[in-house]
Order: sequence, then structure tokens, then C-alpha cells
Amino acid sequence: MSLKVVVGIKWVPNTQAVRFDPKTGTLIREGVPSIVNPHDLDAVELALQLKERYGAKVTAISMAPPSAIKGLEHVIGMGIDDAILVSDRVFAGSDTLATSYVIAQTLKRIGDFDLALFGQETIDSSTAHIPAQVAGWLELPYMYYVDRVEEVDEKQRTVTVRRMLEDRLEWYQLKMPAILGVAMKSQKPRPVSIYNKLRVRMENPIQVWSNKELGLDPRCLGLKGSPTLVSKVTWTPEVPRKKQVIEGPPSEAVKKLVEKLCEEGVLPFEC
Amino acid sequence: METKFDVIVVGAGPAGASAAYTAAKRGLKVLLVERGRGAGSKQVFGGRVYAAPLREIYEGFDKEAPIHRWVRKERVSLVDGNRMVTVEYESDQAASFTTYLTQLTSWMVDRAVNAGAVFVDEVRVDSILRDGSGRVVGIDSGGERVYADIVIDAEGVNRLLLEKLGLVEKTRPSQVALGVKEVIKIGEDKINERFSVAPGEGVSWVLVGAVTGGMPGGAFIYTNKDTVSIGLVVYLETAVEMVEEPIHVMVEKLRTHPALGRLWADGDVMEYAARLTPESGYRYMPRKLAAHGLMVVGDAAGLLLNTGYTFRGVDYAALSGHMAGEAAVKALEQGDVGEENLRSLYEKPLLESFMVRDLRRHRGIEWFMSNPEFFKKYPALAAGVASKLFDLEGEAPTLLDALRSSAKEHGLSMFRLAMDMFRVVRKL
Amino acid sequence: MSTGEAKPKLIRVEDLLQRTVYDVDHRAHIVVDSEKCAKCPKKPCTYLCPASCYVLVDDRIVFSYEGCLECGTCRVICPMDAISWNFPVSGKGVQYRFS
Ligand SMILES: Cc1cc2nc3c(=O)[nH]c(=O)nc-3n(C[C@H](O)[C@H](O)[C@H](O)COP(=O)(O)OP(=O)(O)OC[C@H]3O[C@@H](n4cnc5c(N)ncnc54)[C@H](O)[C@@H]3O)c2cc1C
Ligand SMILES: Cc1cc2nc3c(=O)[nH]c(=O)nc-3n(C[C@H](O)[C@H](O)[C@H](O)COP(=O)(O)OP(=O)(O)OC[C@H]3O[C@@H](n4cnc5c(N)ncnc54)[C@H](O)[C@@H]3O)c2cc1C
Ligand code: SF4
Repeated sequence: MSLKVVVGIKWVPNTQAVRFDPKTGTLIREGVPSIVNPHDLDAVELALQLKERYGAKVTAISMAPPSAIKGLEHVIGMGIDDAILVSDRVFAGSDTLATSYVIAQTLKRIGDFDLALFGQETIDSSTAHIPAQVAGWLELPYMYYVDRVEEVDEKQRTVTVRRMLEDRLEWYQLKMPAILGVAMKSQKPRPVSIYNKLRVRMENPIQVWSNKELGLDPRCLGLKGSPTLVSKVTWTPEVPRKKQVIEGPPSEAVKKLVEKLCEEGVLPFEC
Repeated sequence: METKFDVIVVGAGPAGASAAYTAAKRGLKVLLVERGRGAGSKQVFGGRVYAAPLREIYEGFDKEAPIHRWVRKERVSLVDGNRMVTVEYESDQAASFTTYLTQLTSWMVDRAVNAGAVFVDEVRVDSILRDGSGRVVGIDSGGERVYADIVIDAEGVNRLLLEKLGLVEKTRPSQVALGVKEVIKIGEDKINERFSVAPGEGVSWVLVGAVTGGMPGGAFIYTNKDTVSIGLVVYLETAVEMVEEPIHVMVEKLRTHPALGRLWADGDVMEYAARLTPESGYRYMPRKLAAHGLMVVGDAAGLLLNTGYTFRGVDYAALSGHMAGEAAVKALEQGDVGEENLRSLYEKPLLESFMVRDLRRHRGIEWFMSNPEFFKKYPALAAGVASKLFDLEGEAPTLLDALRSSAKEHGLSMFRLAMDMFRVVRKL
Repeated sequence: MSTGEAKPKLIRVEDLLQRTVYDVDHRAHIVVDSEKCAKCPKKPCTYLCPASCYVLVDDRIVFSYEGCLECGTCRVICPMDAISWNFPVSGKGVQYRFS
């Protein structure tokens, strides 16, 4: 039997497009398009490499409103085999606990997967909770900041991964099934291809699962299943600027800037 | 993957969407390929569309299309510094409307999909495929090939595919103009109030003169539902020679123009956009509009009429796409997609249509469109005349006196003035 | 109009581009041969690129593709044939909404 890989993707607002209204101090959300969380594309790319290396079958899952179909089409366009959109009103308002619970139960229902890959974090919440919590719910081994899958041993049912930390590389062997958090910007996600996009139109590779399929206890879902309370939100205070302008051509200005920073003693090296 | 379609349409702008809609509605197996994400995401235009051709193509157009406001007021202004002379025409006809092309195109693509076309987005076509004997047989994207009996090229003004095919030469600065645009949100009521229009009614406004720093081109203002679209169009050939400040600064100067800016000063800039347009279609037309298995539609075919006061690109694009869709149906019925047959089914009726007749009639427009004098001296002259007539401190001059002395100030003789006017009138 | 009104400020191009939505690809869709630019007398791209993707730094053209509006101007006006120009793939690049 071939390797079975699942990739979790989140449908997020393109945060670059969210602006502050200077007059009301609120966020302008009108017409802000959603995208696949960019860091999830690293996980998609890694999964597609497993498909090439081991003939893995790759399924994308997303818990999201129906508009996320577009995001799933995008990753199928990149080469993912099929996708499941987990979508139901009862999921609305979930915090990371409830979200990870639904995702874990989705994985359980899929059943025979070997690896579940997630992005490192999202651009709209950046908690990096989901993969760890999913591993917790399912009591499976979990490794994060993974930038390379060195080897999958299908007989021994193990996977060897590399992870990249700021100051070192580490290698780990995990028992499969396992959960991996893929380091952001670690891959160069491949482009969408016309054959894959045609497959989206001709083969209907996307299923939608509601809570009818999953049959989860509503008390664990949505607002009810979300113990997290947002107690306070503050904006980063504005630091008063000295507003010094260094004149001259950039190459010289940079030298002067470095000198100034040296004087202030803020550079991490000897000047 | 061995996939074959009757028709592949490259580019889901108004031209491509309409071609796909017509061909699919008539039962053909159609693939519509667009490089953008979803439909409309790469679309930019000024702001006003003529409805008649679209009503002919799309049933229920007036009711269902994303129409912002019907244009009831047409304004043309000659701008000299902070002075301007404006002519306004009011009409009760529902001949044209304002919208976002992003929305209108998306609506058209939805119609094509409902009619049965297969729409594939996020896919850039890299070349149009030919077989050994030069017949067009399909498309290539990233090395993957898809085949069809007929390819309709609706790629728009940047004709990378037609250039690669050798059907057109590389675009020259003399053939195109750059349009740069801002969409500013001010709210529906404020638009009604400040432009003195009723709900659902709008203004189309063209300005020439100092707004482009005297460069050939012009500015436009269109009122949408709760936003205004403002922008500049400059002809690249003269702009390369004459441009003195960055084009984005020029657009910002239009937004903050002392006489205009108060119409939207409190608004929020929602989007900044830019795109090329054929200068005036006739010179941008490929030497043939069809080849074996290929038809060219819309901007790619140079089907754009710019008279200086109206811009007709969207309706021409849609109508040419529609005609190509019908031609595809007939050609496949006849089992002949050869060059001669496609030219007689598509190119010939197109060249005889009102569109190309209008393009020919307005051909002379290029003479003054590329003549900087018109964009510097005449707005100044008009403003000078108006100032002499209305900014009175002493005796009121006659109109002719005002014209004569203003012309003198701008180094134009009355004879020269008369000759230029004559040429313009004859050419319009 | 009163003459005492404060003159409205021009929005800088960086801020204008913030109003427009992008999904920037990691692959550049336009590549510029700055060796050729060095020999270009006019450098019209520095004025006519509406996104100011071409800027002069110490007399050298520095190009960045991220803010590109995909208009095609630079491709047409470049007198040195220094630009390999294409559209982005995968639906990346500019995402117009209200134009
Ligand atoms: C305090 C707090 C309160 C919140 N309250 C609400 C609320 O009331 N309503 C609301 O809608 N949201 C709320 N959220 C946001 C929501 O809980 C999270 O966005 C969501 O649980 C995912 O967490 P994240 O975005 O931080 O993902 P991370 O944990 O940073 O994501 C890591 C990876 O997990 C995967 N992943 C994440 N989300 C999904 C998904 N939905 N489907 C598939 N894969 C996924 C992706 O691969 C991603 O890269 C709240 C978040 C917090 C921190
Ligand atoms: C500033 C400005 C103002 C204008 N104002 C008006 C106006 O007020 N009224 C009016 O009627 N017209 C106006 N026009 C003209 C009008 O916008 C065009 O004539 C019209 O959009 C042309 O339609 P089209 O379908 O031929 O091309 P486009 O609208 O350019 O569509 C081409 C489509 O093809 C896609 N494409 C291109 N190459 C590829 C490829 N290789 N693979 C896949 N997809 C590809 C593009 O993404 C695009 O979606 C204006 C134009 C400009 C620039
Ligand atoms: S295509 Fe247009 S926006 Fe992009 S770099 Fe060239 S001139 Fe600038």
C-alpha cells in the first residue's frame, strides 16, 4: 500500500490587504480576498515531494467556510490528489482547541494516514497551536520546524526528518503515523499546472464534510467548545522617532548609518 | 492527459468571456483559460461601458449585470493650471453605465460557466501550438499541452502569444497608451450630492490639458455606486519624450487638483491600478484576424475606439468575442477551420461591422492625439478666453475679441486656429 | 474656495501600492539586465512605471517586482531591450478588486 499523506491548510484573509481606517481606527475588511495561508504552501510542496519520491497519495483538508473551496482548488492545481472541506455552521467561532479537535477527528475519520503535514503558523493568528494540539488529541508523535523529510521507511513505519533551528540542524526519527509542522519559507512551492486545474473541473476531487459526517458533540465545537477568552487587545505603542535624515548617496549614507549605530552600541558585532 | 476541446479561449476578459459564452451556449465544448485568480482579478479600465452590444449578447443584461450607475451627464473639460472650461451634456438615455471591470468580467465568466464552458483560472498560457504545417492546434502551459480545433486569442493588449506566433510585431510605444487609475470611496449620498445626480445616475467626465502636464492624453472621472474612478491616460511615445515627473505623482496631482479634489478629498483611496490600452485600434490591428484554427478578438485585435471623449473597448471586445464564438460554431458545423473559412466567417463580418467602420472614420484622430500642441495650447487658449469673458474687472469684451487676444497670448494666429479647428471637425 | 485651505498631501507611491492587493510569488516574473540599464541614456522606466519598480540608486537601476501592476509599460518603452517580461504564474501578483 502506498504512503498516505494529509496536509492541513487554512483559508485566511490576505493580511497585506487589511488596512486601518485612520479616521475610525478600525480595520477595513471590505473586498479583502482570502488566500491559502502562505506557510501552508510549504507543507503542500513537501507533501508533493513525497508523492514524487514514494508515490504517496496526498489529501488536503481544511476546516473553513465554503469559499475555501477556491483554496483547495489551488492546491489541487499544484498537484494534491484530492481534498476534504470540513465545513459546518456549528464550527464557527472555534478557538484553536476546538479547531484542532475537529481536525483531529477528521484525520481519525480518514483513518489510514501515515503523515499529516501542517504549516508552521498562520498569517492571521500565528498561534502555531494546531499541529501540536492535533498530535495531542491523537496521541501521535509530532515534530515542528521540519524543512526536509530525509527518509520514509514504509516497512519499519518510520520517518526521518530534519529540522532547522536558528543555530543548528537536528535529525529525528518518528514512528508513523506522525504529525509534522513544516518550517515556513523552507520550500519553493511549485506553480499551478493546467492539467491539475482541469482535473478539478473534470473529476470533482473535493468532498465536503459537515458535522453530519463527523458526528461530533456540539459542546466541543464552535464558541461552546472554545475556552479561550480574548481578555485584551492592545496596539503596539508608537515609539517616538528621532527623525534624523542621513544625506548623500546610499552607499555613503549606509556607512554613516552603521557608524551611528555603532556609537549607540546596538549592533551585534564589534565595530 | 489527452484532453481535446472544440474551442480553447485564451484570456477571460470581456472578449474571451463573451467568446466562451456564445460558443458554449451553442453547444460547443469550450475551455476558457485565465492567468488571474478567479475571473476579473487582472482587469483594469476607465469606468464606462456602452450597453447596446452587451444587451445583444447577454439576455437580461440590464437586470442582472453589475451596473453601478447609468451615465446621464457627459462632461468634457479643458484644463489650464487651476482654470478649466467645461462642457456638459445631459441625456435621459440609458446608453452607457459605469462599473468595475473586475465585476463585469466576473459576471460574464459566470454566464459562460453556466452555459457550459470549462473555466480554468490561475493558468498562464505560454504559447499557442502549431503543427508541422503551421496550423494552430492548441495551447501550451508550462510544458503541458491541451488541444482544440479552434483557439481564440483574447489575451488583451500585451500580446505575448501573438508576438511569439509571429502574427504581430513587438508592441511599439507609438501604438499604446498607459492608463493609471485610483478608485476613491466617498459614499453613495455624497456622490449624488456633489455631482448633482439622482441615485443610480452618474457622470462620465473627460479632461485634457494640464492634467497630463500637457502631454498627449487625458484624464477621466467616472462615478460608481459609492466610489469615483479617476485616472490618466498618456500616450507612451510622447510620454517617453516629455515626462517630467513620475506618473504616480501626476495621478496624485489629479486627485488633489484644486478645482477637482474637493469632490473626493475626504474619500479613501481603495485601489491603485494601471494598464496599457491600444492608442487607437486601427494601427494596432494584426494584419489578419484569423489563421488556420485561430481567431483574434478584443484588444489583441486592436478593437478599441478612443475619440478623446469616449472610450469603447469593453463593448467592442465583447462583441468581437461573440462574433468569433458564432464563427466557431459555423466553422465546426462545416468541418472547416482553415484560414480562408475563418476569415470569411469572422474577419469579414467584423471588418464590415460598425466597430471597424468607426475605427476607420476616427483614424484621423491620431493626428491630434499625438500632437502636443493640442494638449498644451488649446486648453490654455480656452481657459484664457473664458477668463477674459468672465473674470471681469472692467469692460466686457466680445467673444471674438477675447478669442483673438487669448490666441495672441498663446502664439497662435487666428488663421492657424481656424485651420486646426477645421481639421479636427473634419476628422471627428 | 477659500485660499487658506491646507493643500492636500500627495500619497507616496509606496502607500498607494498598499491600497492594492497582491499575492507575491517567490519567483520574479520580470527580470532586468541592469548592465544594459547602465548604458541607457534616458531610463524612462524610472518615470513611467506606475508602481515605481525601477529606481535609481547611485546611478544604477534597481528593480523590484513585488509592486508590479502588470501593465506592460516597461516592456514597451525600454529602449535597451533590457527586460525579460512575463506575467506571474499560479494567479500570483496583483489582485484587482475595484477597477
Ligand atoms: C485567543 C484566540 C481566540 C480566537 N477566537 C476565535 C473566534 O472567536 N472565532 C474564530 O473564527 N477564530 C478565532 N480564533 C482563531 C482560530 O482559533 C484560529 O485561527 C484557528 O484555530 C487556527 O489557529 P491559527 O490560525 O493560529 O493556526 P496555527 O496553529 O498557527 O496554524 C498552524 C497550521 O495548522 C493548520 N491549520 C490551521 N487552521 C486550520 C484549519 N482551519 N483547517 C486546516 N488546517 C489548519 C495549517 O497547516 C497551519 O499552517 C481565535 C484565536 C485565538 C488565539
Ligand atoms: C486606462 C484605461 C481606461 C479604459 N477605459 C475604458 C472605458 O471607459 N470603457 C471601455 O469600454 N473601455 C475602456 N478601456 C478599454 C478596455 O478596458 C479594453 O478594451 C477591454 O478590457 C479589452 O478586453 P479584452 O477582453 O480584449 O482584453 P483584457 O480585458 O485585457 O483581457 C485579457 C485577459 O486575458 C488574460 N491573459 C492575458 N494573457 C494571458 C495568458 N498568456 N494566459 C492566460 N490568460 C491571459 C488577462 O489576464 C486578462 O484577464 C480602457 C482601458 C484602459 C487601459
Ligand atoms: S509592468 Fe508596469 S507596473 Fe510592472 S514593472 Fe513594468 S511598468 Fe512597472
